[in-house]
Amino acid sequence: MKGGEQREHNFIKGAVLLILPLIFFMAAICIGRYSIRVEDVFKSFWMAVTGMDTGVDPKTYAVVVGIRFQRAVQGLLVGAALASSGACFQSLFRNPLVSSGMLGVSNGAGFGAALAILLFQNMVMTSVFAFGFGVAAVVLAYLTGKISGGTPTITLVLGGTIIQSIFSALLSLLKYVADPYSQLPAITFWLMGSLASTRMEELALSFVPMAAGMTGMMLFRWRLNVLSMGDREAKTLGIHVGLNKGMIISFATLATAGAVCISGVIGWVGLVVPHMCRMIIGSNNKWLIPASISIGACFMVFVDTICRTITGAEIPLGIVTAIVGGPFFIYLLKKTKGKSW
Amino acid sequence: MAIIEVKDAAFSYDGKRMIFEHVGLQAAEGEILCIIGPNGCGKSTLIDCMLGLNKLKAGQIFISGREAEALTPREFAEQVAYVPQGHRTTFAYTVLDIVTMGRTYASRTFAPPGKEQRKIAREALKQVGLSGFEDREYTRLSGGELQLVMIARAIAQQSRLLIMDEPTAHLDFTHELNVMEVITRLVKEQGLSIIMATHFLNQAYYLENAGANTRVALMNDGGLAMTGTPSQVLTQENLEQNFCIITEIVESEFGERKYILPLRNKRSL
Repeated sequence: MKGGEQREHNFIKGAVLLILPLIFFMAAICIGRYSIRVEDVFKSFWMAVTGMDTGVDPKTYAVVVGIRFQRAVQGLLVGAALASSGACFQSLFRNPLVSSGMLGVSNGAGFGAALAILLFQNMVMTSVFAFGFGVAAVVLAYLTGKISGGTPTITLVLGGTIIQSIFSALLSLLKYVADPYSQLPAITFWLMGSLASTRMEELALSFVPMAAGMTGMMLFRWRLNVLSMGDREAKTLGIHVGLNKGMIISFATLATAGAVCISGVIGWVGLVVPHMCRMIIGSNNKWLIPASISIGACFMVFVDTICRTITGAEIPLGIVTAIVGGPFFIYLLKKTKGKSW
Repeated sequence: MAIIEVKDAAFSYDGKRMIFEHVGLQAAEGEILCIIGPNGCGKSTLIDCMLGLNKLKAGQIFISGREAEALTPREFAEQVAYVPQGHRTTFAYTVLDIVTMGRTYASRTFAPPGKEQRKIAREALKQVGLSGFEDREYTRLSGGELQLVMIARAIAQQSRLLIMDEPTAHLDFTHELNVMEVITRLVKEQGLSIIMATHFLNQAYYLENAGANTRVALMNDGGLAMTGTPSQVLTQENLEQNFCIITEIVESEFGERKYILPLRNKRSL
């Protein structure tokens, strides 16, 4: 009896986590300076897929298929990737204050992007460099953490902090030498994060690491529970600690680097969305990771919709995530009385 | 056959100062081995070596006849379960989640433990007297309850050998007795072997008096000073020599329990 109830309960949880992002996705396509009815969205999609004329206004079609669809998909992916890797790192480092950028991926990516802006002034190269340097930063942090033998949490965190500060210093150097009228604004804008200027090919390319990373995190999520018991206990519970840590760090890094390289540095999501999920669904990574993926996706799409609708000019994402997320976080904290810490 | 055998083991952290040398130990099926000794004698280090967390500088450790180093973590966990000293809680898992983690080695690679494994975990909780705690958050348990949860997790592992590092540190009398009773039952009724490091010497007498097959290994001065039954090892002379204390070994009124009554330090300050 109890098992049946449990299964039903789990089914509902899973369904909600699946449907919620779809609702936000649809809403994001409908809402904007040029508002679109839901049926027209479906008609446009149908037309795009089958090529059949559904009688939808060409202007509507252009906005739905040409602009908002891609942007909403990107929002879903980026939010999901950042939030789930943040959740992974928090469990792995047994530290609730850690975010997806812990091992330096954001700082590395920021430096890479700035370098590409200086060298090429080409969007695709910016993404490629951001991704490459993001991954490189994590590899460096990991190797630094390994110096003392093994990968104890404390040296990994230290390694991450050191690499972060090195890359942020290098980034400052690039900003200092950048042309203040063309390159510097580009760098600054990139660093504040945005979903606006990504092209379809870039999104398609970055989809691969994000999807691979999230799939990996989903597969390893039970082991993540065990790893969060600390190295000694995880080992005696029957897990190869070094190997599993390395895998989880790789997956989380792939996902974050994939997100950051097309959207710039977006803070907050990788730190706070996992905590929101903890409050709602508990700390077990079996549910926390899927919940982070789902809620992270919703949150990002929601915030991006605000960014592009609230004023005529776009507001950078990084600003709005904190302004919107902060109060919501406080509300949740009050509502759940900080349960789950 | 000994379930665990330590042969001529030596360990050093820095390669210069040896923590211990020439340690030879074994524990048979259904036997409790209490490792005792003054602070800093290397008890916990030895336990870490047995768990494969520290690498021996010399000597070997055999688990059920196989060299411990050759075992994969999974194979090791199947044979040996570990109860840590003072688990540091982090995130608010439920008690059942924690105990189910004992089944990690028995689960398929990517699948979370299923119904069968949770059943074993519930059973283990019952054994330590924590039925009904399944859905409680383990971050909100008392120290004693948390320790029992850790023991339940080790029981859920269904290994033949339990290694415990000071299982009753920081516990009150009630919980200490609770833990000792659970340990006695595991050994007497289920034939498990237990190795425990402890500072509470009377626990060795408790276990002996409770009818469990108990041996004591006394460590001191970078090695093993002696092994034997509690009555053989924990004598006034030995305690004076190794702990520098003057004691009296007393028996309770109805002869139910023997215990050590510490009187004073040998070098009175």
